[in-house]
Amino acid sequence: MNQDIHIPALARVEGEGALTIRLKDGAVNEILLNIYEPPRFFEGFLHGRYFQDVPDITARICGICPVAYQMSSVQALEAALGVTISPDVRQLRQLLYCAEYIESHALHIYLLQAPDLVGYESAISLAADAPDLVKQALKLKKIGNDLLKTIGGRSVHPVNTCVGGFYRWPSVDAIRALVPDLEWALQASIDTVKWAATLKYPDFEQDYEFVALNRIDEYAIYEGDILSSKGKRISPLDFEKHYIETQVERSNALHSHTADNGTYFVGPLARLNLNYKKLRQVARETARGIGLKLPLRNPYKGLIARAIELVHSCDLAVELANAYQPQGPSFKEIKIRPGEGVGVSEAPRGLLYHRYVVDEQGLIRFARITPPTAQNFAQMEADLWTLAPAVVKQPQEEASLSFEHLLRSYDPCISCATHFLNLKIER
Amino acid sequence: MNGSIDGAGNNLIGAIKIIGLGQSLRGDDAAGLSAVRLWVEKYTAQAQRPDVQVALAELPGIGLLNLLEGAHFAILVDAVHSGAKPGTIHRLTESQLESFNNGSGSAHGWGVAETLSLGRQLAIGNLPEQLVVIGIEAGQLDLGEALSPEVEESLPHIARLIEEYVSAAILNW
Repeated sequence: MNQDIHIPALARVEGEGALTIRLKDGAVNEILLNIYEPPRFFEGFLHGRYFQDVPDITARICGICPVAYQMSSVQALEAALGVTISPDVRQLRQLLYCAEYIESHALHIYLLQAPDLVGYESAISLAADAPDLVKQALKLKKIGNDLLKTIGGRSVHPVNTCVGGFYRWPSVDAIRALVPDLEWALQASIDTVKWAATLKYPDFEQDYEFVALNRIDEYAIYEGDILSSKGKRISPLDFEKHYIETQVERSNALHSHTADNGTYFVGPLARLNLNYKKLRQVARETARGIGLKLPLRNPYKGLIARAIELVHSCDLAVELANAYQPQGPSFKEIKIRPGEGVGVSEAPRGLLYHRYVVDEQGLIRFARITPPTAQNFAQMEADLWTLAPAVVKQPQEEASLSFEHLLRSYDPCISCATHFLNLKIER
Repeated sequence: MNGSIDGAGNNLIGAIKIIGLGQSLRGDDAAGLSAVRLWVEKYTAQAQRPDVQVALAELPGIGLLNLLEGAHFAILVDAVHSGAKPGTIHRLTESQLESFNNGSGSAHGWGVAETLSLGRQLAIGNLPEQLVVIGIEAGQLDLGEALSPEVEESLPHIARLIEEYVSAAILNW
């Protein structure tokens, strides 16, 4: 192959992005990963807004991971305003996060990444040959969305979350009614792990620095300290000192590096590698059942990590749904005061950091949102450079697919893209 | 706002579903949402019929299938991009959509056409027998912007078109 590769719109990626690989004398000369990412817009958009509007606005950043944007933002604002939530609220937020993990992971595993691994152009062609597999994926995803809707009021952009708790408790009966479906989902996710183990993954391993939240008492998704596979553990309050964002001219997304200018990797692989022992027992047993060996250093095997997290999330959801019996008010009354706060949670795609400054009227004076995909950009580019010398020897179409597959395995959430129907196919 | 409009995922049984699609934070991408809202305001009695279901869905992705389940006839109203003048109204049947399968200008890899194809491919039983798409040509899709004036002007026409489809569907049922 001796042509440049230009992929104007990355298919099966959350949002909009483009990739250009320029060759010179047959060798890779330039790699441009161009991302159209809007959280920066939201940082400006939030300025001057009332603090209680923030979770509903930030939820709009993504149609797939709105809960993550809500969870990081409410925690940051609760810290800024000195609010402590009740244990029942925390548990319901965990359950809401399970819902998002179920719908998001089911989507990515089966409908976004699997077609690459089993050699189909899309989930539509996969569905032609393996309809039951795709039906199972859709059912799993629907169960996640149903749980999300029951707690959050809507299945795409939930609205029930507020700073201090939830606007109202979902009814106990409505939550309990979902238990049989969640039990089905647990079994389906165990089967998903077994199926994931049978897939053939490209041979590609790197010595990544993995970064994820970590807690002593649970598999950290809702909150935790920030742990790196290089051994560094920091408080979320120090995140911006250790993980630095820089502007990249070709992209409206910032790219993150560690303080010593290294790349790092957030997401399911990072969580699994750093927190395996904290997984629910059934998830660990399932992982052992497929002979899982850690650390997993192959980005394509993020699919296996997602599948194991799917088991964890379904099992936790069954327990939390069965135990759901909220007491007392669903939210804390808030006394407005000026302050600053940080909130970090694990979006399905990785660590999501928010920081806000609130003034004496409760208006947002500063917002910082660092999404997982921005943190992975530099690592994605580094991986493209590693992969490129071999791939550019392939025929053009095959080469494009190889690059796209690598990027898709990261499950990049370029988020909040328009979704209008393209009536002209530009290829 | 009508109580039944609460976003994606309503699993109520209805003969006719009117679904506005879009992204309210991206300029003209909100056209479908605005048009359906306007139709509900202008034709409230019709919108409140028990056999008529209305949903506004922002980025439902593949969740659109769940929204469509249980309907006999569905009207999707969405912004489109074809190079025509902003505000131009396109009427598309499902078969016309199929030729646009490859458009990955859709968030989350799942546009309307692809999602419907997947649903039909899997022969999901309770998808609508008949479906039409009203496409509204988008001009700008900038974050945080309002609708373009041309798109704004087309909204009453689209509301009337929705009403024509709904009335015809009720009569034919």
